[in-house]
Amino acid sequence: MKNKDDIKVLLDYFQNTNDKPLILDEDAIVSAYQKDNTDQSLAIKILSMFGGFLAILAFLGFLYLAKLYNSDIGLLLSGGILIACSIWINKQYNKIIMDTISVSAFILGFILIAIGGHIEENGNILSIIFIIIALGSLSIVQNYILCFVSVLIINQSILMLIISNSVNDVVHIYVAILALAMAYIFLKEAKIITTNKALSKLYNPVKTGLVFSFLSGLFILSGKEGNFPVSPEYMWLSSIVIIPVIVYLTSTLFSVLNITEKRHKICVYIFTALALSPTALSPAISGAILIILLSFMINYKTGFVLGITSFIYFVSQYYYDLNLTLLTKSILLFSTGVLFIALYLITYKKLTENEKV
Amino acid sequence: MQREDIQIISRHSNLTEETVAKTLKESVYNGKDAWQKFLRLFFMSLGVGFTVSGILFFFAYNWADLHKFTKIGLIQGVLIITTILTLLPQINKKIKNIILTGASVLVGIQFAVFGQIYQTGANAYDLFLAWTIFVTLWVLVSNFAPLWLLYLVLINTTFILYSQQVVKDWSEILICTLLFVINLTFLVSATLFVKKKTTTWFLNIVALTSISFATIGIVIGIIDKYQKHEESFSFPILISITSIAFVLGIWHGLKVQSGFYLSAIPFSLIIIISALLLKISSEEMMFLFVSLFIIAGVTLTIKNLIDIQKKWANEK
Repeated sequence: MKNKDDIKVLLDYFQNTNDKPLILDEDAIVSAYQKDNTDQSLAIKILSMFGGFLAILAFLGFLYLAKLYNSDIGLLLSGGILIACSIWINKQYNKIIMDTISVSAFILGFILIAIGGHIEENGNILSIIFIIIALGSLSIVQNYILCFVSVLIINQSILMLIISNSVNDVVHIYVAILALAMAYIFLKEAKIITTNKALSKLYNPVKTGLVFSFLSGLFILSGKEGNFPVSPEYMWLSSIVIIPVIVYLTSTLFSVLNITEKRHKICVYIFTALALSPTALSPAISGAILIILLSFMINYKTGFVLGITSFIYFVSQYYYDLNLTLLTKSILLFSTGVLFIALYLITYKKLTENEKV
Repeated sequence: MQREDIQIISRHSNLTEETVAKTLKESVYNGKDAWQKFLRLFFMSLGVGFTVSGILFFFAYNWADLHKFTKIGLIQGVLIITTILTLLPQINKKIKNIILTGASVLVGIQFAVFGQIYQTGANAYDLFLAWTIFVTLWVLVSNFAPLWLLYLVLINTTFILYSQQVVKDWSEILICTLLFVINLTFLVSATLFVKKKTTTWFLNIVALTSISFATIGIVIGIIDKYQKHEESFSFPILISITSIAFVLGIWHGLKVQSGFYLSAIPFSLIIIISALLLKISSEEMMFLFVSLFIIAGVTLTIKNLIDIQKKWANEK
């Protein structure tokens, strides 16, 4: 949290850098800083989420013991009321301390509708209703946690639509689209947050939500989701999007790293394409690399940690599942390792040379 | 300047896309130096990681034709080479630490091979104990957070295996108590001696582990009502250590202005009280009450945290 002097320094900076005369609403800025919904630490967000989760569990225990889940209409109605209440609470009192209660009511509302509407039979219609409700709430309130949960609900509903229509392989295309959407949001940050206020507030939660959704898609593609079998012959579908996006990212890195020589650029392109080609049939690995690079690029720590963790997981799983003898695996791993150490030595030499010049 | 500042100001002004893009690039995004550092570490970690797992798979293959002396000799050879690498003055410190972490994993592989040859089983606790003991010196010398983390995982694993394989009659509460004490001791000494700010994430992981063991132990104690004789001994001890540790934790959190302690400890208390409430009664109304209690508790914790953070900001 900032005090008034800090804010003044920031505003002066922008007065001098903006390319047209800066018009700003200083009072609104100061009050935005004073309102407690800025600068939420990660601890608070996690606390709200876990607290909400436990409260929902206890509440479901109550419903079960009180045998209140027998009336479908009752469940549907109370679900609807809970969602409406949580949106209203947020609209009315946009404060972080209301987060736990509103996020609990929000998620509980969806669960009640799912039970009351018999989701196992009416998967299609309920998924579409969920998507509409979640999109509606995104357009009405731009509270961090509610938006994040809405994005996850939309993702889950799309996956549910895919399952309940038994078109599991559409997930390949879905993951590809998610990769593009994620890359767009990461790379066009300035454009999105200057478009309008609502989009600017949606930016952070939607970004985090997309990373989680993309990871859930990668998890399905890695074949570990028992309820969601996908056929291996379409694995390349998402790779043909993810790998070019990574190559494109390396091209934007040239200006950051001051690589100007054409020869070097071509070497980097060839190397990236070669290094990624073995992952063409396991998009989970290249997907994790995409998250790591995008997050590091815009200095987004949560995404970076998620990317590294999932990368380690997907790589270990890939080798574990690989249908080869341990000896062959050993040779494969060992040579990959040596390749990276060599790469380290080459880049180390190149970079130190550049520094000397 | 942080991302949040740019977002707030752009919401209430006519900042252009170009200015925002430029400011983000200059003050938020990672620049050339950070990328170079990241790529180096990334390549080196991948290199060491893949090479070491290659070696691991090689020995897991359990080549029957290979004589046991060749096997152990091979791995010791690799171990000696890697350790010598870390003594070379040309290599920078971080890279040396990564290599040393790889070497520490190799020590474990060596003991696993040993276990394989002499049929002790790969998860015998003494192998882990030996692994822990023999990397201790490296951990101390390198003082590298990821290596410390590996060390802590090793200590915990050794202890858990010991409690399963050697003393089979320890109660869950006693095990949780001892695990809590081990991690807590670690945390306290690390907090006292380490002054670097970069290792906060590591300290938080250790603290979270300690708090989790304490919470699990107490919840088990509440639900099981500690009927066994030894539990009536260890449970009060667990509660008293936990109370002291929690008070100190809150005090420390206030002192170093860490939101982590001020949220993790109250959250653990909320879980413990909920378990207590459900022990008193498991009627439906109690479940309803517990769900409301959790919401109220978390909300209060957050409100407190916000107020304290505001105070910290004004003190600056």
